Amino acid sequence: MRIGIVCPYSFDVPGGVQFHVRDLAEHFLGQGHHASVLAPADEDTPLPGYVESVGRAVPVRYNGSVARLNFGPLTAARVGRWLEAGDFDVLHIHEPVTPSISLLALWSAEGPVVATFHTSNLRSRAMQAAYPLLRPSLEKINGRIAVSEDARRTVTTHLGGDAVVIPNGVNVARFADAVPAERWTGTDTTPTIAFLGRIDEPRKGLPVLAAAMPAVLAKHPGARVLVAGPGDVEAARERLDPAVAAATEFLGMVSDEDKAALLSSVDLYVAPHTGGESFGIVLVEAMSAGAPVVASNLPAFVRVLDGGQAGCTFANEDSADLARHLVRLLGDRTERERLGDAGHRRAWVFDWSVVAEDVMAVYDTVTHGTDELRAEASVDTRWTRLLRGRRGGED
Amino acid sequence: MDSLTWGVVVVAVLLGVAWYLSYSAARLDRLHTRAEGALSALDAQLVRRAEATLELANSGAVDPASALMLAGAASESLEAHNERALEDDLLDGQSFGAREVLESDLTEALQAALTAEVVADLRAEGTDALGASALQRVEAAGVRVQLARRFLNDAVTDVRRVRRKPVVRLFRLAGHADLPRTVEFDDELPPAVRD
Repeated sequence: MRIGIVCPYSFDVPGGVQFHVRDLAEHFLGQGHHASVLAPADEDTPLPGYVESVGRAVPVRYNGSVARLNFGPLTAARVGRWLEAGDFDVLHIHEPVTPSISLLALWSAEGPVVATFHTSNLRSRAMQAAYPLLRPSLEKINGRIAVSEDARRTVTTHLGGDAVVIPNGVNVARFADAVPAERWTGTDTTPTIAFLGRIDEPRKGLPVLAAAMPAVLAKHPGARVLVAGPGDVEAARERLDPAVAAATEFLGMVSDEDKAALLSSVDLYVAPHTGGESFGIVLVEAMSAGAPVVASNLPAFVRVLDGGQAGCTFANEDSADLARHLVRLLGDRTERERLGDAGHRRAWVFDWSVVAEDVMAVYDTVTHGTDELRAEASVDTRWTRLLRGRRGGED
Repeated sequence: MDSLTWGVVVVAVLLGVAWYLSYSAARLDRLHTRAEGALSALDAQLVRRAEATLELANSGAVDPASALMLAGAASESLEAHNERALEDDLLDGQSFGAREVLESDLTEALQAALTAEVVADLRAEGTDALGASALQRVEAAGVRVQLARRFLNDAVTDVRRVRRKPVVRLFRLAGHADLPRTVEFDDELPPAVRD
């Protein structure tokens, strides 16, 4: 099958949607399908062979965070060329309602289209204003996928209709097989806690963890917090309590290998996100690596954690509650091991081998019989009939 | 304004109206094509599901009583498909007829026959065994039936919304195509199969 995948977000920076697209494409390529990804990227960014760059992306504030997006007539022409050259059996568009190449691809798409909705908070004001314009394009989507129940609810309330839920995939083996690194491995007196995510994005929750740390350090003075993620380290360090800052190590942006090693080394992984998360792939990654998870009780997180059985949850934005759970778990190795094992078992539900098969079932369904229908439609559409009829009247 | 300007304005307006009408007609036609495609996909997946169920019934891997029940429900579904074969123009006077009931019956039969123990036994035989591979096909087709029905109903909802628009009704842009209907039946997979 010839699969064309459109990713609206730039491949220069890491992100959930980008990783999803990369893993999906690599999985299908591994199965012998043809897959091509269209995505924004800087000219000097090294890209895998199956990714085609649509050019440099412009940073724009959209949907609560800064996104790097592409638009404009030049981009539209590039998207059109890629579609034409690709001759895809199915076009899989991610986040179709962002002002980006996804929308442009949908606009010029002619064959079967599958769309995946990742976000759980479409900006309703922008959506409502542009809705009459978007609607005809959105009608081209043959199959809609939502990555979570929250994302699905967004689709049903804002767009009408329904979507099938296929969760994000994770390469469980990659994290399960990672070798723990000694520098990140804790001991009984100096346990380690990992945080992943942008450090200057408050909704990723670093301030919540920072506020919980004084109480944790009072009970476990040797505890270390390992913060991995992009952002201004000096500014972040200044915002911290001096004692907490001394216990915190900023690792900056880490490579995929280091992330896997970090997660398999630490005693606890904390996800204090305060909102805007529709799935929480990083939770599944931590679970795959066997790290016990402590997460805020966002609905998406609770679902990933199987109702709280595969990890520990605390009241969202409540640092005192987080501190209580951290203190308890850091002092209880058996409970940590139990949570780590339960999380690891749960993670296999989200493995790409399972998830990609469901995506393929969607492709199968939407491409059924399209060859004949497409041929028929191009020869005799109502549009050409109408034109012919009108011309016939003039004759 | 002189008559030339008026003429230009009238022509421009007429061109605009003509463009909008042809654009709306094209949009509706695309939607009809999508609904047709989805309906034919659902039809094909239902046939596959019934055939896989028959294979499972005849594989000798399930007990005779279950086999008879499955074979009965599956052959009724296939018969209904053959009697009312969907024609080229699916929106031309075709509907799903009474097949919803038969498909719900097949779903129910599968749920009754494929209990947790039966599924575990079938899977224990290994994927090469006749029963296990038939079960795999029942599952694959069952998942695709669910997808196809959901996508069809999405398409039907879109078609009906556009056909309610005044411009579509006033200029009869839908032509002779019947108003498509959503297809409702129970397509839930047996819980043991999905795990």
